[in-house]
Amino acid sequence: MSTTSFYGKFDRHSHGEGLKGHATHYCPGCGHGLAHKYLAEAIDDLGIQDRTVAVSPVGCSVFLYYYFDVGNTQAPHGRAPAVAIGHKLANPESIVVSYQGDGDLASIGLAEIVSTAQLGIPITVIFINNAIYGMTGGQMAPTTLMGQRTATSPDGRTSFTGMPMKMAELMSGLDGPVYVERVALFNPKQRNRAKKAIHKALQIQVEGRGFAFVEVLAECPTHLKKTPEETEKWVEEMMLPVFPLGVKKDETREPWWNIAKPTFETARVLKEIGAGEEKAPRYCTTFPSHVAPHDISLKLAGSGGDGAQTAAMLIVHAGINEGFDATHIPAYGPESRGGTSYADVHVADGEVLSPASPKPDVLIAFNMPSLVKFGPDVPPGGTIIYDSSVIHELTPMRAGVKVIGVPMSEIAKDLGKIMVKNIVALGALQAATGIFPKETFLTAVRRALKDKCAMIPMNEQAFEWGVKAASEVLVP
Amino acid sequence: MPALKERPKPFVLPEFCKGCGRCISACPKHCISMGTEINPQTGLTPVILDLEHCNGCGLCIDACPEPYGLQQTPADADYELQDPAKLFGDRMTDAPEPVDIPNEIIPLQKMEPLVLKGNYAAAVGALLAGCRHFFGYPITPSTEGAELMAKLLPHLDGMFLQAVSEVAAVNMMYGCGGAGMRCLTFTSSPGFSLMLEGISYMIGSEVPAVFMNVMRGGPGLGNIAPEQADIKLCCRGLGHGNTHAIVLTPSTPQEMLDLTMLAFDLAFKYRNPVVIASDGYLGQMTGKVSLPESMVKPGIPAWGVWGDKDHRRNLISSIYLAETDLEAWNVHLNEKYEAMKVEQRADLYMCDDAEVVLVACTTPSRMAKGAVGALRAKGIKAGLFRPITVWPFPIEKFKTVLPNAKRIVVVEASNGQLEDELKLALANARICDYPEIENVRHFGGVLPQLEEIVTKVVAGQEVTV
Repeated sequence: MSTTSFYGKFDRHSHGEGLKGHATHYCPGCGHGLAHKYLAEAIDDLGIQDRTVAVSPVGCSVFLYYYFDVGNTQAPHGRAPAVAIGHKLANPESIVVSYQGDGDLASIGLAEIVSTAQLGIPITVIFINNAIYGMTGGQMAPTTLMGQRTATSPDGRTSFTGMPMKMAELMSGLDGPVYVERVALFNPKQRNRAKKAIHKALQIQVEGRGFAFVEVLAECPTHLKKTPEETEKWVEEMMLPVFPLGVKKDETREPWWNIAKPTFETARVLKEIGAGEEKAPRYCTTFPSHVAPHDISLKLAGSGGDGAQTAAMLIVHAGINEGFDATHIPAYGPESRGGTSYADVHVADGEVLSPASPKPDVLIAFNMPSLVKFGPDVPPGGTIIYDSSVIHELTPMRAGVKVIGVPMSEIAKDLGKIMVKNIVALGALQAATGIFPKETFLTAVRRALKDKCAMIPMNEQAFEWGVKAASEVLVP
Repeated sequence: MPALKERPKPFVLPEFCKGCGRCISACPKHCISMGTEINPQTGLTPVILDLEHCNGCGLCIDACPEPYGLQQTPADADYELQDPAKLFGDRMTDAPEPVDIPNEIIPLQKMEPLVLKGNYAAAVGALLAGCRHFFGYPITPSTEGAELMAKLLPHLDGMFLQAVSEVAAVNMMYGCGGAGMRCLTFTSSPGFSLMLEGISYMIGSEVPAVFMNVMRGGPGLGNIAPEQADIKLCCRGLGHGNTHAIVLTPSTPQEMLDLTMLAFDLAFKYRNPVVIASDGYLGQMTGKVSLPESMVKPGIPAWGVWGDKDHRRNLISSIYLAETDLEAWNVHLNEKYEAMKVEQRADLYMCDDAEVVLVACTTPSRMAKGAVGALRAKGIKAGLFRPITVWPFPIEKFKTVLPNAKRIVVVEASNGQLEDELKLALANARICDYPEIENVRHFGGVLPQLEEIVTKVVAGQEVTV
């Protein structure tokens, strides 16, 4: 009998010819071959060969794909669990096995294994712990025992180089995994347990119950510089006290992995991306070139929460609804709230070229620092609109700049919602510059609030108050 | 009385026994002993089986690490049989030849343009290109792309996963792309640095995916303002080894959508990652975005490690242990890079009679375009050459602007990385006769502004006169 989950011939360097066609590349007595066999038998037994994707790691088992007649991927060092997740999410019906050694899993890939385990997505991880780096030639592994001599701990591992990493215990402490067991290969009884554990870890995935992890204490006679028999003993006598065998976690979780196939239904896709809105009515007859000939640059500046960005977006929508090009770029301080919040807006009759507004034709300042910072940048002929509720003293601006104070905050407060001060500002902008007709702004506001209709009247009022307040200042 | 049914006993071909002896201690009947003669073929000493007391318990077989080591004797065994092909069968695999499940192109009606932030536009482009898998790690100024995907993908039965790091994210893409699916990430410069290892593996094993790098200020943590200082990384530094990928450089929210869709087509056409190098402004900039005429429902490519019988033969791997094998593979990859050169794309604005050719991409190209208009108004024949692919550099199109060009001015937000690409492309095309290349450069998050481009050009003209 040999299992059908192994290739009939191994495609090694000699491309399957000669001795290498039926022998592994592992050293005599190596534990990898046993773990391979138990995995292959479990795949056979569960009838999942076609669905299985095996992820080969970096390390001695990098050539796992020589042997397993399943879908194969070879992963970068330590990243096998991430690659496995990629496969599992690409095809939720596939059975994905991540097979890793101790350097791969417990050293360079620690972040990947811990985070993947915690996700709890059903994949199966087989972790081969032989307390040493094999492929690179016997260096210290994260699981190397205290005092153990290796190529990079020639005088024996000391606490200076850390303590052995107990992965099964670490995994069992996480919420994600449903099944964690540590097994060994040093005698028939342990081998039988190892076989069953690997089978179970796969079965849990097949049933869609969750993430399963089997740590296999394996032998590396070559780098322990012992005979295979001595190595078996060494694992039993030296490794076992540090890495106790047994089931570390076995949680009953009902099958839950039942994932719908992605949809490409046109209507649903278009709805999700927000397409198919009705064309907005237009109120402008020409480009407002009285504000600036072809490209109007605006800056809205305040602190986070003033609504500068929302107002900026409304101007952009208004401009685009009128058939012009318009852009908005935000700039924030590092704070999520309360920091600076600036918005650069452009409206152009052709194409907006420079989206930044270092010399804005119009500045809307919601607080004093913003006015002081950007006011002097407004060129002659420009307009500055500021919140006179919070800015009481004006610094001198350049000659020929129209400066208009509107009590945005007070108006908004009187309306019952301080948040609408940015809409007051838009009303003031309309009255002070005539950039667009009132209806253009109001349409943009109504469309933006189409899912919050109850808010529309207050916003309309705020806008009208802004218009009125600015007009009053403008008359004299 | 029926004959007592015996369990099959083990046998081993000496050539496939490495003589480790793990079976010896496993046998409760002490039937197996260490050999004494070295096998001339393997140089190893196989075990000797003496099956007189064997009861066929099979423990030795369970103890043998070799798949074709100790085996149960087949019922109809011919004990003289020594040919592995006859003994184990001559199949390598019985999996069928993989087949392509083709993409479906679904036409879309004409619709009102959307008003979208650049990052959102790219995410919408990905969805329309048939991407239903997103892996990423939040990083300003790219995060809105991930946020929109997190919101929309579940509604389309897609998968959004926030990884533990960019390193994990790129490897999830490696797995998902290796399965043949269209996947995407949004990242920004420091995150892109972390993804380079995975990108090298993806190129080496021909896994397609799309990387949206919303470039920000560096080196190190730098800042979150726009820069173009990853052009070197995208064009010359995609991880270790002989790597290349097509690098697209959008300049508007519209192109964020269009080029993301194009990126998926190119990634799968060449089985190679595609990088979109945008910048912090483009990611954050809101503008008008028209929808395309069609969207894609992707199939499964024949090469994908999908996890079914039809794709069981497949392997995604970049390891070629034999030097000659790796060289042959690299020859293949390099031929592919050569073939990608037909994908050169550029936008030429008023270049027909341009004596001053500005060269710029992503957001700085917008300022440069504005400068062209301002310079033309001053009677200076300026034009803009805007690469849409910085790798491959659109040298064929650049050749067309050279005959009239008296000055070349590269406008960029880096320390000359775009200029280096231009110079390298000129050198590779064996063009030596071109005007000295001037520049307007900023780095640190400040972008070159229209006025300073104009000033630079005008000042130069006076010197020339």
